[in-house]
Amino acid sequence: MDPITFSIIRHRLYRIVDEAVITLKNVSGSATTNEGHDLMVSLYRANGSLLMGGVGFLHHLTSAAEACKAIIRRFKGDIHEGDMFLLNDPYTAALHTSDIYLISPIHYDDQLVGWSACFVHVYDIGAMSPGGFSPQSQDIYTEGFSSPGIKIIDRGELRNDVLDTLLNMVRNPEMVSLDIRSLIACNNVARDRFRVLIRKYGEEIVDGACMTLIDQSEQLLRDRLRELPNGKWQSRQYMDVNAEVHRVGLTMTKEDDHLVFDFSDSSPESPYSINCAYWASWGGLFAPLFPLLCYDITWNEGVIRPIEMIAPEGTIVNCRRPAPVSVATVGAIQSVNNAACTTIGKMLAASEKYKGEATAVWHANHFAIFLFGQNQRGGQSIGILTETFAGAGGARSFADGVDVGGEVPNPISRMANVESMEAAFPLRYLFRRRMKDSGGAGEYRGGVGAELAFVPHDAPDGGLHYVVSGKGTQFPMSEGLNGGYPGAPNSYLWVHSNEETAGDAPLSFAQSLESMPGEKESVTWGVYPIMGRDGLYVQWNGGGGYGDPLERDPAAVVADFEEGVVSEWTLRNVYGVVIDGDAGELDGPGTEAARKAARGTRLQREAAE
Amino acid sequence: MTASKKERRFVVATDVGGTCTDTVIFDTSGAVHFGKSLSTPPNFADGVLDSIAAAAREAGLTAADVLAGTQLFTHGSTVVDNTLLTRAGAHTGLITTEGFEDTIHVTRGAYGRWAGQTEDQIKHVVASFRPDPLVAMAEIAGVPERVDYKGEAIRDLDEAAVEDAVRHLVENRNVEAIAVCFLWSFYNDAHEKKVREIVSRVAPDTYVTLSSEIAPVPGEYERTSTTVINAYAGRIASDYLGELTRKLGAGGYDGPVLVMQGYGGLLPASEAAGRAVGMIESGPAAGIIGSKFLGDVIGDQNIIAADMGGTTFKVGVIEGGEFEYAREPLIDRFHYLAPKIDIVSIGAGGGSIVSLDPRTNVPRVGPQSAGALPGPVCYGRGGTEPTLTDVAVLVGYLDPAIFLSGEMTLDMDAARTVFTEKIAKPLGMSVENAAIGIMRIAAAQISDLIHEITVERGLDPRDFVLHAFGGTCPILCGLFGQDLNVKRIVVPYAAAVNCAFGLASSDIVHEYSTTKTLQVPSLANDVNAIFDPMIETAKAQLADEGFAVADMRFERAVDFRYGLQIHEVTTPVRGDDTFTDDNLESLGADFEALYERRYGKGSAFRDAGMEMTMFRLTARGLGARPEMIKEDLEGEDGSAALTGRRNIFVEGRGGLAEAAIYSFEKLRPGNKVSGPAVIHTPITTIVLQENQTGRLDQYRNMIIEFA
Repeated sequence: MDPITFSIIRHRLYRIVDEAVITLKNVSGSATTNEGHDLMVSLYRANGSLLMGGVGFLHHLTSAAEACKAIIRRFKGDIHEGDMFLLNDPYTAALHTSDIYLISPIHYDDQLVGWSACFVHVYDIGAMSPGGFSPQSQDIYTEGFSSPGIKIIDRGELRNDVLDTLLNMVRNPEMVSLDIRSLIACNNVARDRFRVLIRKYGEEIVDGACMTLIDQSEQLLRDRLRELPNGKWQSRQYMDVNAEVHRVGLTMTKEDDHLVFDFSDSSPESPYSINCAYWASWGGLFAPLFPLLCYDITWNEGVIRPIEMIAPEGTIVNCRRPAPVSVATVGAIQSVNNAACTTIGKMLAASEKYKGEATAVWHANHFAIFLFGQNQRGGQSIGILTETFAGAGGARSFADGVDVGGEVPNPISRMANVESMEAAFPLRYLFRRRMKDSGGAGEYRGGVGAELAFVPHDAPDGGLHYVVSGKGTQFPMSEGLNGGYPGAPNSYLWVHSNEETAGDAPLSFAQSLESMPGEKESVTWGVYPIMGRDGLYVQWNGGGGYGDPLERDPAAVVADFEEGVVSEWTLRNVYGVVIDGDAGELDGPGTEAARKAARGTRLQREAAE
Repeated sequence: MTASKKERRFVVATDVGGTCTDTVIFDTSGAVHFGKSLSTPPNFADGVLDSIAAAAREAGLTAADVLAGTQLFTHGSTVVDNTLLTRAGAHTGLITTEGFEDTIHVTRGAYGRWAGQTEDQIKHVVASFRPDPLVAMAEIAGVPERVDYKGEAIRDLDEAAVEDAVRHLVENRNVEAIAVCFLWSFYNDAHEKKVREIVSRVAPDTYVTLSSEIAPVPGEYERTSTTVINAYAGRIASDYLGELTRKLGAGGYDGPVLVMQGYGGLLPASEAAGRAVGMIESGPAAGIIGSKFLGDVIGDQNIIAADMGGTTFKVGVIEGGEFEYAREPLIDRFHYLAPKIDIVSIGAGGGSIVSLDPRTNVPRVGPQSAGALPGPVCYGRGGTEPTLTDVAVLVGYLDPAIFLSGEMTLDMDAARTVFTEKIAKPLGMSVENAAIGIMRIAAAQISDLIHEITVERGLDPRDFVLHAFGGTCPILCGLFGQDLNVKRIVVPYAAAVNCAFGLASSDIVHEYSTTKTLQVPSLANDVNAIFDPMIETAKAQLADEGFAVADMRFERAVDFRYGLQIHEVTTPVRGDDTFTDDNLESLGADFEALYERRYGKGSAFRDAGMEMTMFRLTARGLGARPEMIKEDLEGEDGSAALTGRRNIFVEGRGGLAEAAIYSFEKLRPGNKVSGPAVIHTPITTIVLQENQTGRLDQYRNMIIEFA
């Protein structure tokens, strides 16, 4: 392959994906797509293998490849220029029903030369609960419209019968229609630009460049793996739903130039919709693998070749039809993300050369809270609490995690302003701020998560309802690395005001959970109201820490304390730091002594065990 | 402005950049004099005076002669950008709504971590950080108060708490400036105003910026960030403009000092002084205005203005004579909200280093740059990495002997040696073929970038004329311009002083806006009730500045959006009539057409309803335009300017081919030159590819057409 032409074609392939993403965000004006960047666009080769993965929710890159392959199988002999297919069945390839894949073959001179696929989390999919996450669903049949593959555009003509059937099954069909239109526009741009590329360089040269690109990625990853130590690394992720505890157990084995992810140690499939199907787990392990091991390698089929996964059927990471999966993306898939992040991090940390690439877990636990109800203008609103896109960064081997800094599987995301939320929903925030002590302790501290509280405000119906899929309040999920502590878990509290006196009571401007009046009830799973003077309080997890907290620079601990992200209790008991009571200044010798004593206690404890 | 036109015959425009300060003196006789001097940070005003003196010398005058004879001084300055980039601003505190103290540090989650980063940086998540904030956590004070989404004050401001906070910030934390940003203050600014009263009583020397004045728009994170940036750089900006005005006055100039804003209009220094954020990136904005001015003269309404020099590639788009404002402007990774011309800037230029990926041997151009120092290998200043400029020498585009009119000779042998060793040999290619390949890669990457920028705005590059500025752009524009299929290319004669043309051809422009949400349909009277007071204020302001009513222009625009959607589109109001229900309805129709054009067919979503969210007024006091000297056209034959022939890379021939070499200074207006050709000008090099024809127009712009 001529290196010059190769370099030019590679650059253009990246830009094609970029332009398609821009188109997707432009046409779909939704907050989830534009703020949360809950989307993905990628290019695939004629056989459906990943050619060029874009920056979006990364666990979709491989699942959409499987979706292309499923369409190739199902529609053999019936795939034409100008067709477009819709697929959202989790037991075929999708992650959950509300993430719809739209898949477009790319033809040139009547030859199938590639595919473009994209997804957005659609506004609604007709599942039991509005918004797509259905904590109360007991099987796939209650999780809304689902298709293993259907032709939605036939040789350039939109099949209105198909579209109308889908729209007939969802809440707010206009918004879903707009989502679908944005996916169509996105594929059109990708397809047209790809064809221009072929017209300019010829099919053979472009395909040659694509194959070279894939081979290069494979070679680069294999070379990197050979540089890393051989070994086995483990992670166990616990998720509690109501009273039940589920486990995603991973053993990652690295030998020579390949990696095996073995999830055999995982719980049987759950009656709750946190399960995920096979291709979802497969995608879930790649979401951290791409940025952690392939930050400088093109994300394509080549990166996939050295990787193997074992996920026994009937487990929470490979559930069987008709197990419910609507919460998968923030359930088992996210735990697969976390576990893979941890095992890869452990492997990287064991290498002098790659230690700097290791990270503790970022944002281990999404809190997909969907608000719905009548808004202050009299219309209906459904929307995700976009704060869930603002997780906390895990600590690195050289630096603290980024406070409220996002997540690894979705590198580009952001949350809405409070003013945007208050304009869209009849709510008033009491506070939204970083959460003290939520970051995992360590030589480098995990980034802190945050807390918020809001109350109804000007709600025509007196308030709203919300769907909460709040697993993981009992155990911390953002694992630390190399002795670092995990970040604090999530918490969701319904603060019941005293309804009888509330009418005349002055508005609450409480500045903390403690000062919010009323009894607090933990709500984690289901659909709940927020009415009258009641409040909802949400606290989200911090990132995992890195290294032993007793090794943390005491001055950094004091600075954290002064900034309000670490409490005095933690400073003293976890970090072993002593400060002068009145002035609050660091007591160096006192800290030395306290840390020595703490190490002594640890030794005794280990001896006792 | 009392002196007669005869005595005051100059318009002076000075543009302060990071490295150089450029001045152009426009004589009402039509003569133009150009002066350049080094910028003098942090005392930029000294450099301005140096630069005026340099331009005066060109005119055979002294700085005093010029200043005494100047009727108007226009100015663009990088002082605010510099203050932020070097973190040289005031020690700044922030007072905000209790409960939301972390808003500025949290940066809407990951947003502040990835915004402004390249794709490679974004993919390398583990290596990413937020920039250090301009205001320390310990210098943020939350105070009890609350306004709701309707603008209703539902909790009184705790004035005692404010006083305590101010004392604490000023006395214990030694802050010099205080930013004030409360939730929903753009609907109700009473609490913010009260804070200023308290500060002026308790700590009168403290510089104060209110969010409701500097950026009265929704979105508390971006609004807070804007307010902090303004407080941080405010005193330096106002001191600078004060000093500059004094120095110009001491030099004999007593007319108005007009300062360029990022939105491409001028403000009197006295007003600009309070709006530091307005000066951010005002130099590049002046460049776009310069391009628009040129477009008006030669009849180009749709322009892609691309400027590529040694280190930076900047692109702005003018469509139908109008330009768009950036949607999410950033300065050094900090967000701010201020009307600012949308200009995309990336690190790419003649100094971009050419390298091979050590793992795959795939060649790449950039992102590293040799900058001005050590610069390209051929400059002989110690550069050891091959750059795009070195490659341009190797493919025959640059003539080593007459670079920049011979002010500098290029060391072609050194470039060849380094390029052979580091690029050609490892690729197993001849030097010529490898160099040609690198040129093709560079051109393709620029083409990709411009295509993406236009697509993002819903535009098609085929409808545009490319204006190529800078030392590097005219070398490559024949390659990427043809690839993009633009209508034609213009290499402006006045490219070197384009920003100064922009400064001198701009109006005094005041931007006003009112944030208010009105559902569609709304009563025309409700809309008039929003615009009328803004227009009254603007009229009074322009009258104060000495404008007659005949020289005032008012342009209204309304931001619309569809319900449940986040994209907002600024929709210009046609004509000056007050609103009636009819023309309000046609404004809504204009919005829908604009929306579909920008966001794509099928993106408009009428069913969710429409709303108006912001009402904007642009008030112009019309300024005089400089005259461009128009020469008579002569014959097409340009052979008198032919200086020789040499082999250059010609894309259409797949390799090196013989090209005619011309001296720009010997070409006459009307002359035509056919590609392949190279035209050496005193400031740049123009390369014509095969099937391209260059024609010198009456203003000595090189107009390149494709066959």
